[in-house]
Amino acid sequence: MKRAMVWGLLLCLALAGCAPQSAQRTIFAMDTVMELTVYGKDAEENVKAAAERINELEKLLSVTREDSEVWALDHAGGETVRISPETNALLRAARAVGEATGGALDVTLYPVVRAWGFTTGEYQIPDGGTLEELLKKVDYRAIRVEPDETGPANATLPAGAEVDFGALAKGYAGELCAGMLRGSGVESALLSLGGNIQTVGNKPDGSPWVVAVQDPAGEGGESLGTVELTDQAAVTSGGYQRFFEENGVRYWHILDPETGLPARSGLVSVTVVGESGTLCDGLSTACFVLGKDASLDLWRRCGETGLWPTHETTGMADEGGFDLILVGEDGVVTVTAGLRDRFRLDENTGHTLQIVEE
Amino acid sequence: MKKGLSNKTWLCILGGVMALCAAAAALVFLRMPKGAVAVVTLDGEEVHRVDLSAVTEDYELSFTGKSGITDVVEVAPGKIRVRQADCPDQVCVKQGWIGTGVAPIVCLPNRLVIEIADGAGKVDGVTG
Amino acid sequence: MSTKRLTRCALLTAVALTIFVAEAQIPLPLPVPWMKLGLANIVTVYAMFALGPGDTLMILLARVILGSLFTGGMTLAYSLSGGLCCYLVMLPLQKILTEKQLWVCGAIGAAAHNLGQMGAAVLIARTPQLVLYLPWLLLAGIPAGAFTGLCAQLLLGRMKNTK
Repeated sequence: MKRAMVWGLLLCLALAGCAPQSAQRTIFAMDTVMELTVYGKDAEENVKAAAERINELEKLLSVTREDSEVWALDHAGGETVRISPETNALLRAARAVGEATGGALDVTLYPVVRAWGFTTGEYQIPDGGTLEELLKKVDYRAIRVEPDETGPANATLPAGAEVDFGALAKGYAGELCAGMLRGSGVESALLSLGGNIQTVGNKPDGSPWVVAVQDPAGEGGESLGTVELTDQAAVTSGGYQRFFEENGVRYWHILDPETGLPARSGLVSVTVVGESGTLCDGLSTACFVLGKDASLDLWRRCGETGLWPTHETTGMADEGGFDLILVGEDGVVTVTAGLRDRFRLDENTGHTLQIVEE
Repeated sequence: MKKGLSNKTWLCILGGVMALCAAAAALVFLRMPKGAVAVVTLDGEEVHRVDLSAVTEDYELSFTGKSGITDVVEVAPGKIRVRQADCPDQVCVKQGWIGTGVAPIVCLPNRLVIEIADGAGKVDGVTG
Repeated sequence: MSTKRLTRCALLTAVALTIFVAEAQIPLPLPVPWMKLGLANIVTVYAMFALGPGDTLMILLARVILGSLFTGGMTLAYSLSGGLCCYLVMLPLQKILTEKQLWVCGAIGAAAHNLGQMGAAVLIARTPQLVLYLPWLLLAGIPAGAFTGLCAQLLLGRMKNTK
């Protein structure tokens, strides 16, 4: 018995020695809870660096912190403001997504979002006049950036307009951290930024990361299906995430920049999978607004190449292809061809799967 | 020698019972949902952990974070929710019960997170 | 009660208790609580056949009560109901089994022990779902019981020879 115990102990030690090193950190930033898990050598240092990077970005990009660059831009009253390469990159990404989606993503929608109370939780339905007035200032194309290239720049926003990177910042933070971790030699990491998933490499055992897509219809945050990721991001936008009800009508936080009203396109959630977390984040919101047909058209046009074809123009990851998981009100889950072998619909969710090949 | 069954007969009987048990165990193993363990963390610190499948009676716990906001967490057989919260947006309360799901309940203002550990099969993360 | 009988009972109780406490010290990496070899059962089975039901009951009760005192915790109710169930099924078995069939007694006794424990657990914890563990417990308990029964069987044979 004693001998067996000694051997057992030795075995445990040996196994512990083989187990991959890992470090985990939970941080509260960008209005959400983030869980960062990094594997490999120096995991502790790397996860710390990633957390610090995210906090830095938050300081820069927060729309509510009075010392942020975005705040300075929003309150410049039409004056020109010096912006960092990060803010510039996001403005360029916002423009690329805006142009590709006919304005379905507009980063200047913030005053309208605030009028609905989605920024504070004090929800209300703004009247038509208020919306019309606020929408006049909403136009991402009115943002001027000099020079028109990556790096630090000068930005000008029309007086009264306000920018908010809520639809891009988490994806961007994930993408930047993933790039930084790869640069430090990390081969395996999972960054969960409040529903935005960014992966580095595969799991330590070499198999792809398995990420559940939340069932938009499920009451208790059930899983709709799983998608396998390798060095990719997966971001979901859905009307179920933040909403309020009045007189039996549900009003959610994803607004159509055209009308200033909650986007009702027949979709209940959109998950975008791709190499660029920023693109996934922006597109998930835009596709939710666009609806199924227009989203699939966009995928046919740009799914392979993404929206920022070269590293030079945006400063984002140059391989920017993407795939879509669209969940419709009718219970149909539409998945684009690139995820054919990587997405698995759970059993008994009451949904039907449709794969779009071309 | 007392009268009775032979060794062989006993072996058959016990073997039969074992086979039945094995079948039942296999059935239970296949059908039983993995014990859903709910973990409550406040500002990253674990403050409560409970196996929801072992809960027989409802109970409530209050958690007050640094912000001064209080969340009342209700635990019931197989499920858990934030029943009441002082936070302005009430996102956590609206999320209702979770139990078998993969998505956590998050009360951001209070930095309270309720997660189902190893819930609904094994996934590495959740997007939603 | 004769001194010889008293001494014999006390001795067997001490042996059973020692085994019981010793076994409790060895942590087994098993997924289900209560899963164990139950080596103290050797004494119970042996006593059943060597001394008869009366003495066995005394040894069993003394061992269970003292054992739960020594190992602490909430184990008394579980052990007691398990032990009594085991005892009750052994009563008829003792009449129909030969001295070469103690392993059968051990196996069935162990199964009864599992059932009794489970019954108590379900009642005390008011968690009927615990029954789902029963097949596993039985699956482990029956061979373990057969083993301890076999030990008692060999013991009985040796003790006969020493007389």
